Amino acid sequence: MMKYRLGIDLGSSYTKGVLVDEQNKIAGLHCVKSGYSFNNASSKIIEHFSASHEIQYPVYTCGYGREQTSAAFVSNSELIALSKAVYEVYHRSCSIIDIGGQDTKFIKVNANGQVDKFKMNRKCAAGTGSFLEEIAFRLDITPEEFTGFAEQAKQEVKINSFCTVFAISEIIGMIKNGATLPDIIIGIYNSIILRSMEMALVEDHLVITGGLPAKHPMIVSLFKKKYPDSDSPEHSQFLAAFGCVLLNNDKNKP
Amino acid sequence: MEELLKKTEPVKLESTTELRKTMDGYFTRLREAAETRNRKVAWCTSVGPAELLYSMGFEVYFPENHGAMLGAAKNADKYIPSAVAHGYSPDICSYLTSDIGAFLQNETPLQKSGFKAVPAPDILVYNTNQCREVADWFGFYAKHFNVPILGIHTPLSIPELSPEIIRSVSEQYKNLIPGIEQVARVKFDMDRFREAVGLSHDGCALWRQVLEKAKQIPSPINFFDSAIHMGPIVVMRGTTYAVDYYKILLAELDKRIKENISAVPGEKYRIYWDGMPLWYKLSSMAKLFAKLETCIVASTYCNSWVFDDLDPSDPFESSALAYCKLFIVRSDEVKETVLENLLGDFSADGIIFHESKTCARNSNNRYGLQNRLFKKTGIPYLEINGDLNDPRCFSEEQSIIAIETFVEQLAGKSGK
Repeated sequence: MMKYRLGIDLGSSYTKGVLVDEQNKIAGLHCVKSGYSFNNASSKIIEHFSASHEIQYPVYTCGYGREQTSAAFVSNSELIALSKAVYEVYHRSCSIIDIGGQDTKFIKVNANGQVDKFKMNRKCAAGTGSFLEEIAFRLDITPEEFTGFAEQAKQEVKINSFCTVFAISEIIGMIKNGATLPDIIIGIYNSIILRSMEMALVEDHLVITGGLPAKHPMIVSLFKKKYPDSDSPEHSQFLAAFGCVLLNNDKNKP
Repeated sequence: MEELLKKTEPVKLESTTELRKTMDGYFTRLREAAETRNRKVAWCTSVGPAELLYSMGFEVYFPENHGAMLGAAKNADKYIPSAVAHGYSPDICSYLTSDIGAFLQNETPLQKSGFKAVPAPDILVYNTNQCREVADWFGFYAKHFNVPILGIHTPLSIPELSPEIIRSVSEQYKNLIPGIEQVARVKFDMDRFREAVGLSHDGCALWRQVLEKAKQIPSPINFFDSAIHMGPIVVMRGTTYAVDYYKILLAELDKRIKENISAVPGEKYRIYWDGMPLWYKLSSMAKLFAKLETCIVASTYCNSWVFDDLDPSDPFESSALAYCKLFIVRSDEVKETVLENLLGDFSADGIIFHESKTCARNSNNRYGLQNRLFKKTGIPYLEINGDLNDPRCFSEEQSIIAIETFVEQLAGKSGK
C-alpha cells in the first residue's frame, strides 16, 4: 500500500493538513478550526486522512501549534515552508504576502528559492483574518457575505484606524453619515491591502497566499489593481503545510 | 537526556558568584548610607557624572538599574498602571513608568536585600545624553523628596564632536560642583576627581576587553551574560570595585578561550543585537538562542558602557568627550558606521533590531538605518517589536517564529 506524507500547518485560527504522495503531488487537503487544542485539531486532520490512506510518520508541522501534537512530528518554520512551496510552484524569485488569522507576512524569495528577507506584522492584528471576522461579527454579517457586498460597491470609503476596535467605531460613524455597506466593505478590503503594502517594497512578482485571500478572492483582484504582476496560487491556504513536507523531502521520502 | 538538555543551554559563567558578591557589596553600602545617614546618597543617571559624585563621597544610586531590576523580576506590568494613573503615558519610557509605579506602591526588589524602600536621595544629578525622559523622571523624585536636582543638557544626534560641544558640556560639568558641594558639605577635590576618572577609565578599558573576547570564534561570552555582568560598570564606574571585578571576569574568559569553551555550545551563527534587552525574557531568550546554536556576540547596549576616552590628566574635557561620544547621542550617520564596524569586528552573520515600544532613542530601525546598513554590508537583519520592560508590548510566540526563521535564513545563506 502506498504511504503518504502529511504536512500540518497549525495556525492561530485554522489547522490545515496536506497529504502528499510519492511524486510530491498533493493527494488531499483538509482544514479544521484550531480551537483551544492544537492536539485535537491535528488529531482530526490525521484521522481524516487515515480513514482512506496510510500515513507515514513523523508528520511535518509548522505554525503556532507546531510542537503541540501527540503524533510523532518534525517541526518547521512556517515562513521557510511557505517559501519552499511557493518556489516549487513558480521556480523564480518573487515576493510573498501571506495573510493569515493573526499574522501578515512578507517574504522575499530569491532566484534559488532561498529567503532573502522577511517581515511579520507588528504587535497588532489589524489587517488579518481576525480583523475581518471581528468586523463581520459587529456588523452582523458572515465573512462569506463580504465578497457579495463588495461586488455592489459604487465607491470606496477610507478606513483610517489602525485598531480593530476603533475601526469598528469609525465604520459605525460612516453608516450614521449615510455610507453604504458595500462601499464600506471595499474600504475594509483596501485597508487590509494598505497594511500589507507597508511591510516592504514589492519589486518583483507578487504571490498572495493565506486563508484571508483564499476566502476573500476580491482581495486578490484588488491587489492585482495595485500590482498587475501578482496572483494567488491554487490552495494558497495550504501551501505552508505542503512546504513542510517538501522541506523534508530528501530525508524521509517513503 | 540531561546531557542533551545541557548541550542546548547556555554555559553559565563561574564569575557570576563573584559578580553577586560585588553587587551585594554595592547595595549594602547604599543601604547603610540610607539607614545611618553617615554618607550622602546621590541619584544619578546611568551615563551621568558618577565619577564626580563618587569623588565627593556620595553613595550613588541609579534608578535605571532599578528599572531593569523591576523588568527582570517580571513585575513592571504590575507597576506601570500606577504611573499611568498619575498622568505618565504608557508610551513613554517603561523604566520610568515601572520605577515611579513601584515607588507609588511602596515596593522595590531591594526589599529582598533588607531595604525598607529605595534609598532616599540627598541630591539628583542627570545627564540628558541618553534621553530627555531622565530629567522628567528625576524631577518627580526631586519634588517628592524636596531635594536639589542638577543636570547636564547634552545636544542630541551629534554628528561631529566639535570643540564647542565638548567645551559646553565640560563647562556644565564644572557648573555642577557648587550645588553638589552644598549638599555633600565637602569641597571638590581635583585629585580625588582625577582618581575617580582614572578608575572609571580602567574599569571601562577592562569592560571593553571583556566584550572584545566575543570576537573569538566560538565566543566565550554572549549578550545575555553581558547584560547581567555589566552591572558593576553601570553602578560602580569610578570605583575600585568595578576594576577588581572585571579582572576576575576577564581571567575566566581567557581560560574559556584556552580551553575552547563557548558560551553557546556548538555555536554556528553569530548575531549582533541592537536595542534594549527584553528584561522580562532574558533567560528564555538566552535558552532559545542556545537551542538554535546561535550566539549573540555583541550589542549596542552593552558596548555603550565603554568610556575609555576618560583621562585623569584632563578630567573635565575627557568626561565631556567620553559622555558625548556615547552611541545613543550620535547622529544616524555615525551610528551606521559604528554598527558597520562592529558587525565586521565580531564576524556577525546577522543583526536583530529590537524596536522598543517605549524607548525610541534605543530603537535604531525607525529612520531607515536598517535598510541602509543592509545595502552596505549585505548582512541580513530582523526587526522584532517589543519593549525593555513592558511585557504587554511583546508577542512572544510571534517573535519566536521570527527568530527561528531568521536563523534558518542565515543557515540557508551560509550553508552551515
